[in-house]
Amino acid sequence: MSNIWTIVKKELKRFFTDPRMIIGLVLPGVLIFVIYNLMGNISMEKIAPTITDFTVYVENEPTEFQSFLNKDGWNINKNKENLSKDKIIDKIKDKEADLYIIYEEDFYQKMLAYDIDTGKMAPNIEIYYNSTSESSNLFYSYYLEILNQYESNISNKFDINRDLDIKYDVAKKEDTTIQIISMMLPFLLMAFLFSGAMGVCSESVAGEKERGTIATLLITPTKRSHIAIGKILSLGITSLVSALVSFLGLMLSLPKLMGTDFSFQAYGLSTILLMLVLIVMTVLLFTTLLTIVSTFAKSVKEATSYAIPLMMIVLLVGITNFMSTTATSNKLLYIIPIYNIVQCLIGVFSITIDPVSFLICITSNIVYIGLGVFLLTKMFNNERVIFNR
Amino acid sequence: MEEILIVKDLKKTFKLTAKQRKINKTNDLYKIAVDGLSFKAYKGEIYGLLGPNGAGKTTTLRIISTLIKADSGDVFVDGIDIAKNPDMVRQKIGFLTSELKLEDFFTPNYLYDYFSALHKIEKTLSEQRKNYLFKKFGIEDFKEVKIGDLSTGMKQKVSLVISIVHDPEIIIFDEPTNGLDVITAKSVTDFLIELKKEGKTIILSTHIFSLVEKLCDRVGIIFDGRMIKDDSLTNLTKEKSLEDVFFELYDERIGEKYE
Repeated sequence: MSNIWTIVKKELKRFFTDPRMIIGLVLPGVLIFVIYNLMGNISMEKIAPTITDFTVYVENEPTEFQSFLNKDGWNINKNKENLSKDKIIDKIKDKEADLYIIYEEDFYQKMLAYDIDTGKMAPNIEIYYNSTSESSNLFYSYYLEILNQYESNISNKFDINRDLDIKYDVAKKEDTTIQIISMMLPFLLMAFLFSGAMGVCSESVAGEKERGTIATLLITPTKRSHIAIGKILSLGITSLVSALVSFLGLMLSLPKLMGTDFSFQAYGLSTILLMLVLIVMTVLLFTTLLTIVSTFAKSVKEATSYAIPLMMIVLLVGITNFMSTTATSNKLLYIIPIYNIVQCLIGVFSITIDPVSFLICITSNIVYIGLGVFLLTKMFNNERVIFNR
Repeated sequence: MEEILIVKDLKKTFKLTAKQRKINKTNDLYKIAVDGLSFKAYKGEIYGLLGPNGAGKTTTLRIISTLIKADSGDVFVDGIDIAKNPDMVRQKIGFLTSELKLEDFFTPNYLYDYFSALHKIEKTLSEQRKNYLFKKFGIEDFKEVKIGDLSTGMKQKVSLVISIVHDPEIIIFDEPTNGLDVITAKSVTDFLIELKKEGKTIILSTHIFSLVEKLCDRVGIIFDGRMIKDDSLTNLTKEKSLEDVFFELYDERIGEKYE
């Protein structure tokens, strides 16, 4: 067994002391954190832009509608200048003004008296705005929404959730988080874990075959099964570090990306431990599969090409369960590799995991990894595979 | 004399890929690399395998060193059947060939310790042997330089040292002086003589007649995977040089006069 540890130590030294390798391992996680944070900042700014000053021209404004131009935190300047229609429109074109609202004369009375059955045209409001001006666009959207709301209110016979100050959605912050996480994370996690493993595994055995260093190892009295286990363990640890850095980057950036209603408090220690077991198992399974692919390939390039169909399968299984918040209850399905992990992840993230299903998933994956090690040992003994004959 | 290596009726066939068939201009699906080869090596001698390219020398050495398996035939290393106990055989042999490369990222010092650990050599013994071998081949000066930054000669020296970290009984060298400058080549040949004096058995494959004449006690001449002549160097070169003997046999075999 000491030879397994010797191989693991040597492989880890290669991965964790080579600056290029370290950058390759850590960079995806850092990029995820930076990009998602930027995306979060941008979307927050889009939701709550900092523009607060607006210049509006209004004609024939009904007294009953005057409150529409009052909004907390906004400074709406109703311009009283006596300008022609064209001049005001020019001002909006030049982004000197934001909105020009023209109500028909006696709009309010006409509106009240309007009967659709007469077939006559309804009273009209003209609103001029400039879609290339951020403030004009924002104020136009706001005013349009107010008018639409008003229009639907006067014809409706009842209101729903009238009071804007009351929070009608009573869901707990933690539950909202759980829902979001269980919908998104299984797929994202599978993608991160696979890409982390793919980065290091494709190069491993195929690279050694290409460089001619695998024969030097095979000439030592080390058992082939020990070489296989040593490779899988070291690649597994490296892939895990790479995947966890990416995962950490995602987790740290999620509150920013999702908004302020995001909290991880819903997950207790047991849930985190289950997640960890699943993550380790997934990485070892991916590492085993990718090491087999890498051993079969004649070169790193070939190994990467062979790994792509495998990646498609993983992503396909992940994406078919994307946005799903409940795991399957059919225990037989927990035998299917990759699919069982996605289902368990959904179960763990939504805190509805069934212990029996979890055990079936873990046991079957241990069996698959064992079979993979056996196959890899056979491959290391096969000269056609090792020497590309 | 004690027989330390016995090779009996060894056969090995390789399946040719479409690309290989095209290069070799043949329609044959298989190539016989070794065809019933037999020879013995005695403890403490240097046995030379001589033959043209494609004669089956490297394949034979790879089978002996357990890198590949024979289709049929037997090989015994110090009485151990290589087919039954390959791991035990690997403890007894050291194999050096240009095919065996070292990882560019590591230093000679680290790689020595790594391979020494894989051979389960006790730490103090390993350090003593490392100091001795590194001094002998002048590796001390570049022991902390990465393999990728070393010259071909330096790499060959490190490969040689690493192939014998475990002080093996039988050392198999496939073209040991290939690509080396004259000074490094001399240090390698001197070392082979020294190993012989220590009682080690050396199996050597080479194209260089002078090297065989200088080093070998006995010589096996191989053509097309078959042993054509297997005798002591003294018997082979009674009246003629080894080169003349070789080409006479070659002409007989091929039926063409070498010019």
